[in-house]
Amino acid sequence: MDDYVIEMLHITKTFPGIKANDDITLQLRRGEIHALLGENGAGKSTLMSVLFGLYQPDSGEIHKDGKLVKINNPNDANALHIGMVHQHFKLVEVFSVLDNIILGAEDTKFGLLHKEEARKKVEMLSRRYNLMVDPDALVEDISVGMQQRVEILKMLYRDNEILILDEPTAVLTPQEIEELIQIMKGFAAEGKSILFITHKLNEIMAVADRCTVLRKGKYMGTVDIKDTTKEELSRMMVGRDVSFTVDKKASEPGETVLSVRNVTVPSKLHNNNAVKNVSFDVRAGEIVCLAGIEGNGQTEFVQALTGLEKTSGGSITLCGKDITHATIRKRALTGMSHVPEDRHKHGLVLDYTLEENMVLQRYFEPEFQKFGFIRKKKVRSYAQNLIERFDVRSGQGPLTIVRAMSGGNQQKAIVGREIDRGTSLLVAVQPTRGLDVGAIEYIHKQLVDVRDGGGAVLLVSLELEEVMSVSDRILVMYEGEIVGEFDPKQTTVQELGLYMAGARKQPQFADAAYIKKEGGDRQ
Amino acid sequence: MKRRILSGLNTILAALICVFIGLLLGFIILVVFSWSSLASKGDPYTFGKVIEQAWSLGFQRILLGGFYQLNWKIPPGNQALRSEIAKVAPLLLCGLSVGFAFKTGLFNIGAAGQYTIGAFGAYVFALVLGMPWWVCLIASMLFGAVWGAIPGFFKAYFNINEVITSIMFNWIGLYMANTIMYGNGSGVMYNALESKNWKLSIKNPGAIIPDLDVDSSIKFADKSTFVKAFTNPATIGVFIAIAVAIVVFIILNKTVFGYELKACGYSKTAAKYAGINEKRNIILSMAIAGALAGLGAGLYYLTGTEQWNPQENKALPAMGFDGISVALLASSNPIGTIFSAIFKSHIATGGPKMEKTLFPSEIADVISGAIIYLCAFMLLFKNKLAKLLGRLFLSGDAPKGGVK
Amino acid sequence: MEILALFIKFALLYGIVLMLVALGGMFSERSGIINIALEGIMVIGAMAGVVASIDLAGAGLFVKVAGSILAAGVAGMVYAFLLAFASVSLKADQTIGGTALNILATAIAMVIAKRVNSSTGKISDSARLVYSYEGFVYNIGGVTVNIFFIVGIVLLVLSYVILYKTRLGLRLRACGEHPQAADSLGINVYKMRYIGVLISGFLGGIGGLAYILPANPNWDFKYGIAGMGFLALAVMIFGQWKPFKIFFAAMFFAVFKSLADIADSIPLLSSLRWPKEIYNMMPFIASMIVLALTSGKSRAPKAEGIPYDKGQR
Repeated sequence: MDDYVIEMLHITKTFPGIKANDDITLQLRRGEIHALLGENGAGKSTLMSVLFGLYQPDSGEIHKDGKLVKINNPNDANALHIGMVHQHFKLVEVFSVLDNIILGAEDTKFGLLHKEEARKKVEMLSRRYNLMVDPDALVEDISVGMQQRVEILKMLYRDNEILILDEPTAVLTPQEIEELIQIMKGFAAEGKSILFITHKLNEIMAVADRCTVLRKGKYMGTVDIKDTTKEELSRMMVGRDVSFTVDKKASEPGETVLSVRNVTVPSKLHNNNAVKNVSFDVRAGEIVCLAGIEGNGQTEFVQALTGLEKTSGGSITLCGKDITHATIRKRALTGMSHVPEDRHKHGLVLDYTLEENMVLQRYFEPEFQKFGFIRKKKVRSYAQNLIERFDVRSGQGPLTIVRAMSGGNQQKAIVGREIDRGTSLLVAVQPTRGLDVGAIEYIHKQLVDVRDGGGAVLLVSLELEEVMSVSDRILVMYEGEIVGEFDPKQTTVQELGLYMAGARKQPQFADAAYIKKEGGDRQ
Repeated sequence: MKRRILSGLNTILAALICVFIGLLLGFIILVVFSWSSLASKGDPYTFGKVIEQAWSLGFQRILLGGFYQLNWKIPPGNQALRSEIAKVAPLLLCGLSVGFAFKTGLFNIGAAGQYTIGAFGAYVFALVLGMPWWVCLIASMLFGAVWGAIPGFFKAYFNINEVITSIMFNWIGLYMANTIMYGNGSGVMYNALESKNWKLSIKNPGAIIPDLDVDSSIKFADKSTFVKAFTNPATIGVFIAIAVAIVVFIILNKTVFGYELKACGYSKTAAKYAGINEKRNIILSMAIAGALAGLGAGLYYLTGTEQWNPQENKALPAMGFDGISVALLASSNPIGTIFSAIFKSHIATGGPKMEKTLFPSEIADVISGAIIYLCAFMLLFKNKLAKLLGRLFLSGDAPKGGVK
Repeated sequence: MEILALFIKFALLYGIVLMLVALGGMFSERSGIINIALEGIMVIGAMAGVVASIDLAGAGLFVKVAGSILAAGVAGMVYAFLLAFASVSLKADQTIGGTALNILATAIAMVIAKRVNSSTGKISDSARLVYSYEGFVYNIGGVTVNIFFIVGIVLLVLSYVILYKTRLGLRLRACGEHPQAADSLGINVYKMRYIGVLISGFLGGIGGLAYILPANPNWDFKYGIAGMGFLALAVMIFGQWKPFKIFFAAMFFAVFKSLADIADSIPLLSSLRWPKEIYNMMPFIASMIVLALTSGKSRAPKAEGIPYDKGQR
């Protein structure tokens, strides 16, 4: 008889139009690290939200220590010693670390908050599990890795025995991931049970005891890690064999399309520079990747490059024209297209129809307007063409309100729109975030096609696998500076990780005034 | 196509529900007042009597509006109807002003101030410069546009919420316009005898907007009903207002300019990404909204039916806020605004027709206030209705899977 | 000296009103709900307080004063409940809901005021209520002080303690900054937001009474509350959503506001013979300048204005 601490039996949860969980069973043993694997949209988060009391299942049962329980809200979950670290941290940024930890479980004396004992307990837990944080620091002032420690401390403070970690490694460097794995193993050794949500196979192989796989809301099975392989897991997750490499020829770089010199961008949140003295070139027919941990200036750099924010120094040249201070429209017309990082904030007008969004960068061209009036028929036929070519699926075709479309199809619409403009430079920021494997493969192929067609591509990505497989040249960014340049064929994820964490810096980047020689001598 | 019709029907139904609940509330208040007045007399009374009194001396008159005691034979038997028609123009334009701003993502709570400044502009051109009516109308538009552009400027360049700025400039505008018009009692525009601005008919009849009563060879009593209805204070201003509504509709839905404005309204960030100058558009949107409200004031005060009182400076003109209800009730659709403006004018005319000793005329304002409150969560009605309508009419042809 | 006393009288009068109402706004916005209905809440609170003071005129000073203040606060709360219901439970647009309540408030106040007048046998077609401020206003050493000064200071201190030193305050602030975080820790976001809005109704209602009762022997509800609620919103922003900063911001605005009342008594200003409107304009212009200057630093509660939907967490 197995010693199950939590059993979720035959859980079904339906949202309007989608069956997020369809008869899913998950059994968690005491003291094990159990991975929950699945693609984006496979239903992992929904299942965990059910366990944490955020959603009520339509049918199915949850057992704790063999007894049927009902979890109606996070308070119930907490009472059962279930805790969760969400993928997007749930921390109040303007509160102190201590306030965040005690929130919802505060002690009071005479009606007033009483924090002394809480402080002692937090300090004790920090020491015991090697999770050092300053309890009085404001959350907005500490690093992402530190914030994750606060989230873990929140669970420990509540004496949770079952710890749910939702995609905990997405924001960490390879070295930080290693530390987290040790911490997780320590918890398991103490008898705590860990549910670990991920879509990264390497981490599962490294840390988990068992793994439950979901695909499109359905239960695919549970396997012992020691009896399985990466390939088998990926087949269970995707339903077919997946190639981890992108087919492409060697690149044949042509003339320089984008030239960035000593660009500096001020930070919005702090009184320093988010991007410091960045210089590099991108040439026709190559994919250059800007790699780094989230929050190291990539976002700010791209916003300055595309004109969404202003630079405070340096120059940007596109196709031989100085665009350092050009408007966004001017940059677009000079030859830049942009798949933005945040498709909801920037890439789409969510309440416009699909066809209106398809001409978002072109509506003013004579093809689509006459005397200031929109030529609706032209817009319709153009949109229809793009929709077919890029396989954008939606409820009502060109008339679908974009908000109602799935994330993957929204992203395909943006990528299609930007690629079709046929500009000299394509800036793509995390173009595959949140997509399933099929869509990822498709978009990777599109990027390579642009390159083979003589376009220059600047890809910004946080996913090291993507960085390694798609790009022709890698630039690593750390704290707003470029600290290394690599050929993906001659480097390893581990080496990149050291640069991404700021532990190393190539000598030619140590000098801030470095300007890369024309032509790219590292090939 | 079927879906589009359903969605339009849905919006109209949701608005009608708001109106119905608002009216019902008004009727309940009338019944309470009616009951307490009968009870306080001490005479025996019945429930039927309570309802009857609330209906005949109150609610019926609200519903009849300008048609109450309408008599084409005896002028001014149709005065109430004409003033109801006259008020449609400013209500419609203030509604368009608020609705236009809504469509571009801004909440123009400043229509009251723009209306004030618009009226001021019209008076300056009419009473000081002696200009004809159409010049005065253009002036009212331009003055309103400037007053609308200011909050737009603060929003675009200082990122201050336009709601706060508009409110501040409502009061600044009111005090400023009043100070100049009053001129310490000796202002050129101010008529100390009547404690109001001068009547246009005395100082500059050419500034009065023409009406349809142009053919002086026919006796008034013999003229057509239509002409009788559109005689001052009802003027061609109403037609101008309706024409403006149609123009606004076309701009918003058919033009590149409208595409850009709405993109800014739906998502400022996405508009910026698309290379649209969102700062310029915010200022332009607010200027246009201001121009519409200003024109509304021009269309009303240039009928000469009512004079501005520059000593009235504790309250902003209600018209600006009525514009909010008119726009909300129409879901900001310019064509729908025409109908909601007519409705609003209708019940506002009906309010004071109630028996004053029994029912305060402000009950009509309570009704329209309640309607705006309901409009605030009209979306909820809409969603519920959409489900219901969908079940009734679309059960067969729901899209299956993805359609390319 | 007389001028100074007059100045202090008005500055305190307006300062306390603006502070009370801005504190109200603070509670609401700190919980995540933009309360643009403060103007309307003040009208309703003032109306209820005045009517109570008329009804309680014969019941002894203490009962009258306490009863009216309580009536104003409770009426404000009841009215604020409408805002909470629309914006928290029905997830309506908070600005539109608030605006609707502002418009509705004046109409309701007029209907009730006329009703009161007709039932007391006075002219029924006016919304002007006549009352006595006996018991509310005292003369201490030549300076006129009203009871709301004490009430205001007590409520200020209490607001600070509640917001920063209690469990309620911590949870309320969390809901205004990151409701998803609060929800994931088992805090009922809806409840917190209701509490925030209701507290703001209580303070706003008392603020409304404090504005019209001590300074005027009668009030025509046709005029609502003449923009004081909106000024209080500016005070709240200028005060950075923090109690003591709000206090100083309120006093700063009150100085401008009082100029209109005392300009005639100051020889220098009266010799300018500026119309009263210029002074009336000043607090509004001052608030625009202040807002423009401080806009860069403004730190509004991050989640304010966004309805919280449990389905979207």
